[in-house]
Amino acid sequence: MATGNLNLLRNAFSKLRIDHVFTRSLQRPRYRPPYWYAPKESATSDEFLTQENKQFIEEVMQDKMQLQNSLQSPLVNIDQNETPTWNPQTRRVGLIARKIGNYPLWTKDGKKVLTTLLQVVDNHVIKYIPPEEFNPMKTSSVQWKEKRKLGCMLVGSETIDPSTVTREYCGLFSNAGMLPKRHLFRFMVSPESYISPGTPLYATHFRVGDYIDVRAKTMDRGFQGVMKRWGFKGMPASHGVTKTHRRPGNIGSGGEKARVWPGTKMPGHMGNRWRMLRGVKILRINTQHNVIWTLGVAIPGETGATCYLFDTVLPLKKHSSSPPFPTQPLVDDLPLEYFDESIQRFDERSITYEEV
Amino acid sequence: MRRQILCLSTKVTQNSCTKALPLTRFLSSQEAIDRRYHLFTLEKKRQLENVGRIEKIEVQYKGVPNSCTLIMNKGISTPYDCARHLSDWHVESSALALLDGSVYWDMHRPLTENCTLELQNFTVSEPQQVNKAFWRTCSFMLGACATIAFKDTVPVKLHSFPGPDIRSGSFIYDVDLPTLSDWKPTQQELITLAAEYIKLTRLNEPLERLEVGEELALEMFVENEHKTRQIPSIARQNGKVTLYKVGKHVDISRGPMISTTGQIGRLTIASVHKLNGSTEGDVKQLYRFQGVALPTGVMMNHFTFSILAQRAKKLNPVKSPIPKPVESEEKEQIAMKG
Repeated sequence: MATGNLNLLRNAFSKLRIDHVFTRSLQRPRYRPPYWYAPKESATSDEFLTQENKQFIEEVMQDKMQLQNSLQSPLVNIDQNETPTWNPQTRRVGLIARKIGNYPLWTKDGKKVLTTLLQVVDNHVIKYIPPEEFNPMKTSSVQWKEKRKLGCMLVGSETIDPSTVTREYCGLFSNAGMLPKRHLFRFMVSPESYISPGTPLYATHFRVGDYIDVRAKTMDRGFQGVMKRWGFKGMPASHGVTKTHRRPGNIGSGGEKARVWPGTKMPGHMGNRWRMLRGVKILRINTQHNVIWTLGVAIPGETGATCYLFDTVLPLKKHSSSPPFPTQPLVDDLPLEYFDESIQRFDERSITYEEV
Repeated sequence: MRRQILCLSTKVTQNSCTKALPLTRFLSSQEAIDRRYHLFTLEKKRQLENVGRIEKIEVQYKGVPNSCTLIMNKGISTPYDCARHLSDWHVESSALALLDGSVYWDMHRPLTENCTLELQNFTVSEPQQVNKAFWRTCSFMLGACATIAFKDTVPVKLHSFPGPDIRSGSFIYDVDLPTLSDWKPTQQELITLAAEYIKLTRLNEPLERLEVGEELALEMFVENEHKTRQIPSIARQNGKVTLYKVGKHVDISRGPMISTTGQIGRLTIASVHKLNGSTEGDVKQLYRFQGVALPTGVMMNHFTFSILAQRAKKLNPVKSPIPKPVESEEKEQIAMKG
């Protein structure tokens, strides 16, 4: 009886332990948005505005646009002697472009090459974060190796109506005195290639003959079978084959491997993934419309898709001489077109062949 | 303090506050607010008791969902009570009452005779009067916000606010801050002011109206020399001063005002400008607080609202209430408009 009471008492006391405290593990969340992230889309609502008021708002918007267009590029006031020089280790800022179609060009020996046209629309530097302040979100596996060395430069393209986006998103641009842009992208740059916010970027940021890396989203093809997704051969259309014309066939071998081997090529979602095409040559640049002709038709995405252009990282195709650094300022007397030396210009004499 | 209030309250209940009581010491601003609130409630109670035997009036309601006749108490029931008989929607959305198709009446002002009643919200076809009442209420609340927003070490003396002028783009309140000789608010301070304002509006207090005699009004505003100077000119017409109360804040206004503070929605305090008076005048300088607001439920895009906010930043062109000595009449006229 006495021991029973004692046990009861012990149980009661054991519940009063103070050293055993449940705490949540202090793990930081693995993913968090960058601090400059702001929700972009704004919910549209019925505004009780009269026609005149709508027109007035439109006028205010136009005024702001004109003010932005008349802004002088900050590069004008920079002393050329003070700017740091380019070296092969420097990383410059890139551009945001829009893929506008495929057209042929002809080389000087008469060969037809297909090219992809990329238009650089209304690119402006929005913000620069120096490397010591830059604290990017954690990725799942790979630690950010570059964070000590490279700064972060935000570039926006394509000015949009501020009323279609949230106030927070507009606030990202207001420090640079800009209206909000449709696309906002982060480029990792070395600190010496700093460009002050508000600077416009043009297609002449790259030169003809340079090689660039293009990052874009591939065409979304939806859920596809193995023939389209992985190029499987399928099975015969006839000769007794039933119900298995486009099927993958066997996916395992039994025994120890009697399961689906990881990485087996199967049907699934195809496309809509970020892909980088490296080492794309620039053949022609139009300075008036800021269009870049690049060799080949392999740039990911449909016509009208957005893509990001970088200096290439391929060791044999890197810049050998200094590109426009930190970027090409607006110069009035630039030629209208730049052509690569291998490309036949349309204003030159036509190519003639000797009759054999 | 307590003894004074007790003494005053007995005087008020006897309705014989003919001679002003000598104040033995200076009232701090919080004490003054409490005292004014106490006097207001006592006077309101007295006026309600004076109604005496309850008589019935017929109020013919016109409007959605259907017109009907309500039997209400004379001198006690308000349009707000009528709205409560109808639905929650009427209670929340009605800002102003229209009696007999011509008289604009506060939602919290007792009805006195048989009448027809229309409830006006912010989306009626002719919203001019509702709009004016809204802007007037915003000015009034700006005064309430200014009194509580500063620390105790900064005395705040409300001066006046002019009648609503929608074309000027901002509602304003002129405040005397005697200890701050040259104050330019930072952006953060303006945001804090707006936050205090929003806190006040979220309390969703009704705006109560009361008409009091000149002597009582002088007694209530005894510590505010600006108001005591304005009161005689306001009371010159019929010997009455119209007061409004929200929460504990009591101020002079001609009215009418909207139903509750919860009907003030999106808002910004745009700027605070300094108004310089003549050096010989009693008031050397005033601060003009300016803001702009939208009623609850009015959706507006942030870009559109930023145009309004930018506009409200300009100094409001309404004449300063502290003019040169030759124009001393103007001050009282402006005070009367408020």
